[in-house]
Amino acid sequence: MNLTRIHAIFMKDYKEFSRNYAVSTMVLLPLIMALIYNQTGIESMQGYFLPVNPAFVAVTSFVQCCLIAEEKERNTLRSLMLSPATLFDILLGKSLLVFTISAITIILSVYLVGYNPANWLILGMALFLSAVFYIGLGTLCALFTKTILEASVAILPIMLIFSFGPFALQLSGKYPILQIAEWLPSAQIILLAESIEQAYTATDIMVPIITILVWSIITWFFTIVLYKKTMVD
Amino acid sequence: MMNVIDVQHLQKSFQKEEALQDVSFSIKKGEIFGFLGPSGSGKTTTIKILTAQLTRSGGSVFVLGQDAEEMKKTENRARFGILTDNSGLYSRLSVEENLLLYSKLYNLPTSSVKEALDFVNLYKDRKKKVSKLSKGMTQRVTLARSIMHKPELLFLDEPTSALDPVNTHHIYNGLRKLNEIGTTIFLTTHDMSEAETLCNRVAFLHKGKIRAIGSPQDLKKQFSDDTITVELVDGSEHCIENNRKEAKKVYEWMNQGLLSRIYRNEPTLGDIFMQLTGSDLI
Repeated sequence: MNLTRIHAIFMKDYKEFSRNYAVSTMVLLPLIMALIYNQTGIESMQGYFLPVNPAFVAVTSFVQCCLIAEEKERNTLRSLMLSPATLFDILLGKSLLVFTISAITIILSVYLVGYNPANWLILGMALFLSAVFYIGLGTLCALFTKTILEASVAILPIMLIFSFGPFALQLSGKYPILQIAEWLPSAQIILLAESIEQAYTATDIMVPIITILVWSIITWFFTIVLYKKTMVD
Repeated sequence: MMNVIDVQHLQKSFQKEEALQDVSFSIKKGEIFGFLGPSGSGKTTTIKILTAQLTRSGGSVFVLGQDAEEMKKTENRARFGILTDNSGLYSRLSVEENLLLYSKLYNLPTSSVKEALDFVNLYKDRKKKVSKLSKGMTQRVTLARSIMHKPELLFLDEPTSALDPVNTHHIYNGLRKLNEIGTTIFLTTHDMSEAETLCNRVAFLHKGKIRAIGSPQDLKKQFSDDTITVELVDGSEHCIENNRKEAKKVYEWMNQGLLSRIYRNEPTLGDIFMQLTGSDLI
């Protein structure tokens, strides 16, 4: 791992991102949602996370997916792979920008909805792990497809499932199968956020954290396998 | 002299199709080696195998003294450079920003960017966005990027395809300068005049097989029909055999002051390719 290379890839991505308005304007989506929610005056955990989960999907996964799919389509990813940069230099460098943008967007969204968590440390840990998972998901989606168009279509069902999955739980009384949505990272983070507002046990915290961690590990495992496959034709 | 590339009985199959069949050749340090063949003959497949972007189906391939698969290793990637017709440059970034990125990836000083741009005569255009460059200028930036770390071995896949003569000239000059400082160059092309201009040796690849290999001069000699064309002052042309009997005739024309021009009839590399394969290079 080489910090100079990681920084160079990060800076390159920042310049590309700031000049790519089609992708960079995506950060506005969760902020607009947060502003709208703020105006409704309703206070609920589901509501507080209304802009947060879409921020993870629309900013973290979607932007990462577009940035990598574009690199793949224009053959710049292969050029990076043929340079002395290692797998970790490239993946870390390419994830750092999206991580930073996601962090800023989510902090702003939380502020705009007027949510003040009882324990920032625990929630921050869960948000960090979620960001790692959603970055992996975006990368995986981009590596799996061949063009930006294909990637942006492929990520749509993912956006739908992970953004609005927690709402499916409302229907689980009528359709018990939807109870499965409880294990989505987007649902687990809401459960964790609800727990820290009350008297919680270690299990209340560990279960969501471990669930998101498992999602992250599985996603990144497949991402790395697919990345290595992308290195050769 | 050490072989920089050594390929023996190389085979590559894509499902049922055999892209390369029993391909063998070697390239010495400091050579410019041309791999000539029409589109689909297996040139790019060979480059991809040599740079570990593709795995071979059979045979042995050694690059810079190591098995080609070892070119995947980070430390080996800095030993070679590659230029393809697909630039792989960031179109929203400027020429300078593109090269700056690669100078950092290769751990080079910032001054290497200026050096590389001077080399391809593009320093004054360094602030231009890549998306605003002509095809020729883009290709020159790609060349600058592929040589800025001073590789021992440079792979060029159709480096001047679709370039105008002025840009082609710039690229040729750059390649000659590189070769003078000891860089070995592996060049694929279907442009026979390019191969004649640049290469010390060439190989003809057709349908995945090497049909002939040698220096352009040796190949021309080998495939020459040993005739001479004599042009007289009245504009008439006479094709004669290159022997003692015909020499008398030339002497007489010369004696009478009728001789305008005399030259040996040599086939072009394109003619040789056609003779060997029955098909054109394009």
